[in-house]
Amino acid sequence: MGMGPDPIAISASRLEKSFGSTRALDGLDLEVRTGEVHGFLGPNGSGKSVTIRVLLGLLRADGGTARLLGGDPWTDAVELHRRLAYVPGDVNLWPNLSGGETIDLLARLRGGIDPARRSDLIERLDLDPTKKARTYSKGNRQKVALVAALASGAELLVLDEPTSGLDPLMEAVFQDCILEAKQQGRTVLLSSHILAEVERLCDRVTIIRNGRRVEQGTLAELRHMTRTSIDVVTARPVAGLDRLATVHGLSITGNHAEFDVDAVGLDDVLRLLIDHGVSSIVSRPPTLEELFLRHYTDERAP
Amino acid sequence: MTGTLLLLRFALRRDRVKSAVWVVAIATLVAVSAGSVIDLYRTDESRRAYAALVDGNAALIVQSGPGYGLDDPSVGAILMNELSIWTIIGVSIMSIFAVTRHTRAEEESERADLVRSLPLGRQAPAAAAFAGALVADITVAAAVVAVLLAAGLDVMGSLAFGACLVGAGATFAAVASVMAHVTTTSRSVNGSSLAVLAAAFIIRAIGDVAGDTWLSALSWVSPIGAAQAIRAFADERWWTLSIPLASSSALLGASALLTTRRDIGRGLLRERPGRAEAAPQLDSPLALALRLQRPMIAGWSVGAAVLGLFYGIVADQIEQMLIDSPEIADFLAQAGGASIVDAYLATATLMLGLLTAAFVTAAMLRLHGEERAGRVDPILAAPVTRRAWALSHLRTAVAGAAVVSTSAGAATGLGASLALSEPERLSQSIPAALSLTPAAAVIGAIAFLLATALPRWALASWTAVAVAVVVGLLGDLLDLPSAVRALSPYHHLAAMPAEPFAVLPALVCLAVSVALVAIGLARLDRRDLSRST
Repeated sequence: MGMGPDPIAISASRLEKSFGSTRALDGLDLEVRTGEVHGFLGPNGSGKSVTIRVLLGLLRADGGTARLLGGDPWTDAVELHRRLAYVPGDVNLWPNLSGGETIDLLARLRGGIDPARRSDLIERLDLDPTKKARTYSKGNRQKVALVAALASGAELLVLDEPTSGLDPLMEAVFQDCILEAKQQGRTVLLSSHILAEVERLCDRVTIIRNGRRVEQGTLAELRHMTRTSIDVVTARPVAGLDRLATVHGLSITGNHAEFDVDAVGLDDVLRLLIDHGVSSIVSRPPTLEELFLRHYTDERAP
Repeated sequence: MTGTLLLLRFALRRDRVKSAVWVVAIATLVAVSAGSVIDLYRTDESRRAYAALVDGNAALIVQSGPGYGLDDPSVGAILMNELSIWTIIGVSIMSIFAVTRHTRAEEESERADLVRSLPLGRQAPAAAAFAGALVADITVAAAVVAVLLAAGLDVMGSLAFGACLVGAGATFAAVASVMAHVTTTSRSVNGSSLAVLAAAFIIRAIGDVAGDTWLSALSWVSPIGAAQAIRAFADERWWTLSIPLASSSALLGASALLTTRRDIGRGLLRERPGRAEAAPQLDSPLALALRLQRPMIAGWSVGAAVLGLFYGIVADQIEQMLIDSPEIADFLAQAGGASIVDAYLATATLMLGLLTAAFVTAAMLRLHGEERAGRVDPILAAPVTRRAWALSHLRTAVAGAAVVSTSAGAATGLGASLALSEPERLSQSIPAALSLTPAAAVIGAIAFLLATALPRWALASWTAVAVAVVVGLLGDLLDLPSAVRALSPYHHLAAMPAEPFAVLPALVCLAVSVALVAIGLARLDRRDLSRST
């Protein structure tokens, strides 16, 4: 090192991990660039947490390679962990310790905490640090782990569904905190099911399913790879749409046509429509939900 | 109470393996003991010799009971005198654990919320937990009765013993049902219920030793004493079963009342707020392990000290007995030439040493608990090596074992020096207690090895404790072959103060412990960390 930061914070290629007969990771690839907020998405049980636990050196991959902050997550675990902070999806805390004690303990293990930042975060997340962990709700346990992670100076934040227990108000605070972290130049790997959160925060996303990457890129790129819905009324009934391979779910009633079209086929479709005299047209870009649902279910675009 | 049956079936389903282990363990113990007693006491003469040895021997009474039926000793009566108390304690512990598992442990894990959202009566979970424990008690009792009948013992006596086991089990299940309302962790519910069990052991011992004085009423106050009072194989008193029936009913009534007075997940004791910021010293895995184990170390130390003090105070009864019955002095003199008081104190030290082994096992298994609960993840995601984490709990367990056995030794010595007016007993008993810690180290190292290398088998560490307890307390009764006795590390150590300290066995024990720990650490560095969720 000493040559400036590595442009790639996390890279994993062909990662494999099996538990008995279950293949949790089946050749998974993942690349997170330094300084970006990277969304890590996939249905339940697709291998997100397993990937994160491999990256933290808690699990040992059966095959493939993983690099994290320029080191090996398994053999260099301790050195690497000085530079990262982790928030697990299921935050389990020591029942007898108060939230404040837990925050300080986790931070001190990592080498210290910025007291001003600590009290600022506690206030913004509206956390009572004097309560014993066993009396905290799920959301409050997550706040404890978040304060400990965000108040640290870690250059990499590994967050596994960190906001699944937070209310919308706290969710907004969390998003602000992540954007601040990004401005400070930190890298964030964010596993999440909250699409609004992903849309607001993430520079790029990786979508995985069944332990394998099915898509990666910016949201704009992903949108481009999917279909636009068209609802059109023409002067004359449209003919020929059914012959286009890029058109799906076509339904025509008289002069009214509804269908989805792949981004690459838009040009042809529009040309055809204009020939039939367009009197009204509504085109709707794919929503994020549709984008993800397409990747989450077995159906794949042809 | 709606839904109790459904929950009970579910509880039995969840507990089937645990219950089977308890049933097999207790039934085997009874079967082996019965076989051995029948073999040893075939002749009337041998039975009379046994009765003469036990009669009025406070040290033996403390460990066994008042000796019902030994005025005309039958094999059954001898078996009861040797074994009934340990069987009663075993069934009671099983019942406590079963109730805690289905009451407070469920609330702690938040699974209870899921269950309570179902159309169930408010009392159903507690009722099902108690019923589940009762089913386990009855199963153990049935197995024990079957074993005794198979050994050819009297039907009425066997049934009476089975019945008193169910009575004691039900009483302690009810004790745990009440305790489950008081505190908010399953650990403290088990701990406080076991403290009641320990108190019951001591109270009945005082009553039994007191003989014909008014203090003998204490034997009836203790659920253990009340269970023994059925006089199995010695002119059974069936009406004594009304005692556990009454006490468990009263406790269950109290528990039902408490259920309506508190919120799910909360206890009767108010939760105090903690510190907003951690104390400066809470900055390392070791500091965390100490913090987590501190209440356990304190609890076990107090328990060991109370028991030790009691053992020490009883020592003067031994001396008294020596004056009363010279034949016992002869017998013990033959046994090794040590003074009878020293021999007694060596036995007491062994008992407390076994307690230390149980403590150190529980302490080492914290590693397993932390891993299963997923609480090790945030520690190891910080720059902390696996070794540092594992050793933090190991060091704490070792320090805790030293504290527990020192307090046990000091209390035994204090009691003995007061009772015997021999102040030097105090300086003698602490080294005696510590001289057994190498054996506790081996047992703790086994738990460490399993928790670090074979987490799926971590709970099997208790087998090592069970072996040491059976060999130490029942080895003579069962006439165990030396190869079996050799399985207990305690068997190899000198029995201070009756014997002089032997360096070599202690060093071997320590070397074995270090080797087991090293294997565990090597494996921990290579394996996946799992969590149960």
